This record gives sequence, structure tokens and C-alpha cells, in this order.
Amino acid sequence: MKKIVSFALVLALLMTIPMFASAAISGDPVMTFDGPVMITNAGQGPGGKMGRLLFSRAGTLVEEQDFFYVDVPYAADVTAREYSAIFVVIGSTDKGLGATGITIDEEIARVNEVMAAAKEANVPVVAVMLEKDKRSDVATNSNERCIDAVCPSASWMVVIKDVNTDGRYDAFKTANGTPLTILDNSMDFIELAKQI
Amino acid sequence: MKMSKSILVKLIALAVALVLAALAGVEFYNYRHTPETVVASSALTETHMLSEWVPSLKGTFGDTPVFFFDSGVEGGTMLYLGGTHPYEPATSMSAYVMLNNITVQKGRVIIIPQANRSATTLGMLGNAYPPYYKVETEWGTAQFKNGDRWANPLDSWPDPFTYMHYPSNLALTYQDIRNVNRCYPGRPDGSLIERVCFAIMEIIRNEDVDIAIDSHEAAVMYPVVETYVAHDRALDMAMMASMSLSADRFYMKCEASPKNLRGLSHREWGDYSDTLAVLMETPHTFTDWIVGPMTDDLQPVGQDEILKIAAEHGLTYVDYDYEFGTPLKYRVGRHLEGAKEVLSWANDMQLMWENKDIQVTWPSYNELMEKDCGYFLENPETADPSLVFEI
Repeated sequence: MKKIVSFALVLALLMTIPMFASAAISGDPVMTFDGPVMITNAGQGPGGKMGRLLFSRAGTLVEEQDFFYVDVPYAADVTAREYSAIFVVIGSTDKGLGATGITIDEEIARVNEVMAAAKEANVPVVAVMLEKDKRSDVATNSNERCIDAVCPSASWMVVIKDVNTDGRYDAFKTANGTPLTILDNSMDFIELAKQI
Repeated sequence: MKMSKSILVKLIALAVALVLAALAGVEFYNYRHTPETVVASSALTETHMLSEWVPSLKGTFGDTPVFFFDSGVEGGTMLYLGGTHPYEPATSMSAYVMLNNITVQKGRVIIIPQANRSATTLGMLGNAYPPYYKVETEWGTAQFKNGDRWANPLDSWPDPFTYMHYPSNLALTYQDIRNVNRCYPGRPDGSLIERVCFAIMEIIRNEDVDIAIDSHEAAVMYPVVETYVAHDRALDMAMMASMSLSADRFYMKCEASPKNLRGLSHREWGDYSDTLAVLMETPHTFTDWIVGPMTDDLQPVGQDEILKIAAEHGLTYVDYDYEFGTPLKYRVGRHLEGAKEVLSWANDMQLMWENKDIQVTWPSYNELMEKDCGYFLENPETADPSLVFEI
């Protein structure tokens, strides 16, 4: 009898593990895509490269087969392959856009071009935010401008919880009905990548 | 002959000025010639001077100690740099704590605690602030220098009208010819700091340094704060380190080293050697231009009323909690943990040449937060004299 009780306790304990593991991803369910996806960035920050790295570490996705990293895409790149989705990781470089040789206005124009091309080609855009953004209403905040360029027409938003403490992304969800999935931290993007 | 009243007043004013100049001169002289005394761990295997890589540095304030910790077990080599900008002292303090507590199980670690020693010999020109900051230890109060960003003009003078970086010919502000983080890769016959930078590059190249970390501090109103800045080849490693630190210890961003910014460690170390180059920044109120009174506590504690108001208006680039401030133990802990995390991911991702990994031990972020810096500094008076150094 004692053994049966112990076994039942261990089993009950083991059954709670997936519950805790999935707690790192909350909100709307993870979307799945048939076919390769593009991963890129808005804002010239390292977010796109971060997303590419986390996709690679998932172990289930193969670069140049399941996903393609495009550093600075333009409209023509959207239809260069039959993408099933475009993951746009938002994040402006703090080392200064000037150091990349462009201005934030040029970057926003490029992002708008990609968003318009994706809409025309019916390719869903996934807005991703993996780095904490210091919320600020200072007009020059590049991140805020990139968020405004991508999120209103995104089909899905995947953000870490730290960037939504002021409900910025909840507001997009309310206004546009866009599904919102929240990650406890950026490392959880690996688990999400396994599920897409 | 009777001296006129106006001449008498002028002579008195001149005498007062000379007395004040003499008093200030004594203070400047003492500051310049007061070294910091530190203790190395018994794991120390070799001590060198930077001038061994560029002989013309010998006898100058550009010369500085270079400490080697070799496990004797084949593995990779890491370089840790403190004091690139001595007015960011969590960098040299983290190097001192590392120096005093390190053990190396595999591979080698090279530590240069004061990369710009000349800049430890003066304070920030034009600023008024305490010359030293204090660290409480079990054996009493130890004091360390606040220093400056640029080398002392007494050691490198005159500055050019415009500093042309070598070899890119990029025009930079004139005083950056005295800035270690604007003069890489340097040259053996250049200015004092160009020679210092060339010597550091020679260490990286000749000692086959696999991973090189340059520690810094940044104002909380400066965008590049709480950040790794990584060279192209080191970017994946730094990104993983930043994400894992942010997940369970403290927030850390990651930036790619811009190709157009020349002279900086995270760019030139990687371009002019095979090393994986990473720069780290901690939050530092002392170098914020808007801070109020620069008191004794500003450096080690970091509480400032003006910055608190700026934070309330969303003007800082990272969260600034006045009650917490930016204490030295927090900044030193961040650097030590940040360096360890980079090493950990370099090992995990097998980025080192021929899969050489580096296994080390030094105090963690949690240990620093719990015990503070002084706990990890040994008393030079009672330490083994062969392990006591003046920098």
C-alpha cells in the first residue's frame, strides 16, 4: 500500500512539470505555419539576429530550409520565397542608427514598405519583442516608432512580459483583435520556436 | 619710496594665488603619485608590464601591470580589462576582486586592472568631486581613485586640433587621442595611448587570446548602458549571455559593434586579431552629467535626487531606483557575472579555437550583493608580500 501511495505521489508530482514548463508561454495560443518563415528585424537592432539564434537553438528548425534570416529586407524580398510568415523582431540599436549609416526615418520607411508588401502578398507578419524596452514617450524613441510601424497590421504578437507592463500590446490586441502571446523571458522563444 | 595702494593689493593677490596654486599643486602631485595597492590570488603564475610588448612605454605612466593565471591545463585564454576609463571604477574594482579571488581549472586568464594608468593620475578636468571613493573591508577602510576618462595631459601633450584615428583616418574629438577606447589598434611609434593600445593588441595576438572582455560603466542617461557590445564573431555568444542573465539575474542588453565606429575595443580587437571581443557596460550615476552634489557616497552608493526626477519623467535609459541607487557591489557583481556568463556560453557554443574551453572560479553576482566588495579584498599589510602590487 505504502509503495502505491509513494508511486501515486511521484506520478502526481511529475504531472505538474509540463504545467510549470508551459507557464513560461502564456496568453493566446502559439500559431503554427506550414512552410518556411522569414526572420528579420525592425529598427536595425540585434533582435533579428537574436531570433535567428533562438530558432537555431530550438533544434527543430533548420536555417535555409525552415527559416531564412534576412538582415535588411525590402518589398521584393517578401515574395522572393514562398514564406508562410514573416517574424519581425522589433528593437532599435542603442549604439545609434547613425552608426549603421541610416536614419530612423529611412528605417521606418523601409519597414512600412515590407509591411505593405506582406499585406499585398497575404503573408502574415508576426511582431516579436525580445528585449526589454524602456517605455518612454520621448518623441525620438526609435523603438516606439518601430512598434507603431509593425504591430497595428501584425497577425500575431509575441512579446516578453517586461515590455507589456504598461499594457502597450494589450491595447493593440483590443484595438485590432491581434492575438498576443507573452513569454516570461526571451529564452522562452526557444520553446515557442519548437511549437510553430 | 612709498608703494602705491593698488600695487600692494596686486602683490597680495599674487601671493594668495601662488599659495593656492602651491597647495593645489601638492594635492595634484600626491594624487598622481599615490598608487592603489592590491593583492593577487595564489593562483598567480606570472606578472609582466605592458612595456614588455612595447618597450617605449617603460618608465611612463602608460606602463601598467599584466597578470597571468595559467592553470597548466591546456585550454583557451581569456583577457579581462579594467580601467580603460578609470572614472568608471567598477571596472578596475571588478578586476581587483577577480585578481584577488580567481582560480583557474583549465586554460589561462590574463588580467590588466588599469588599462589607462595615466588616467588614474588625475581627476575629471573641470569637475569638482571627491578624488577617492572608499570601500569598507574586514581590515579597515580602503580607498581607491575616481580617476578620469582620458590620459593625463602631463603624459600626452599637446593634443592635436583634430584627432585622426589610425589607420582609418576617421576624425575624432581632439582629446580622444588620450582615450584607450578610441585608439585601437594603435601603433608602436604613436602617441602614448596609441602605444598602450598597440601593446594590448600585441598581448591579444601573441598570447593567442581567444576571448577578450573590456569592462566599462555608462551613465543611466546614456543609451548604451546595461549592455554587451560584441564584435560580429562574438555576437551570438554575447546575445545568449545577455538573454540568460536577463532571464534569471539582472537585465542585460546586447548590441552589435557598429562597423563605422573606429578605435573601439569591440571593433578593432576583433578586426585586428582572432579574438572574440566583447565590451560590457554597467549603470553608473557618477558619470551622469545632470547629477546634483558629487558627494563621497555618489560613487559607491549612487543615489542622486536629480536623476530620480529624470527617471520619474522617463528620461533614463534603464530603470533608476533612487532607494537602491547604483551601488558599487551591484556594478562589480554585474561585471564579474557578465564575464563569467560570456565564458560559459563560449564554452557551450564551442566557439574557442580547437574547442579549447576555459574553466574559472571567481565571486558571483549573488556573492557580491550579499557580501560587498570589501569582503573579497585581502589586507595588503598581512598578505604574502610576493602577491602585493601597487598600480
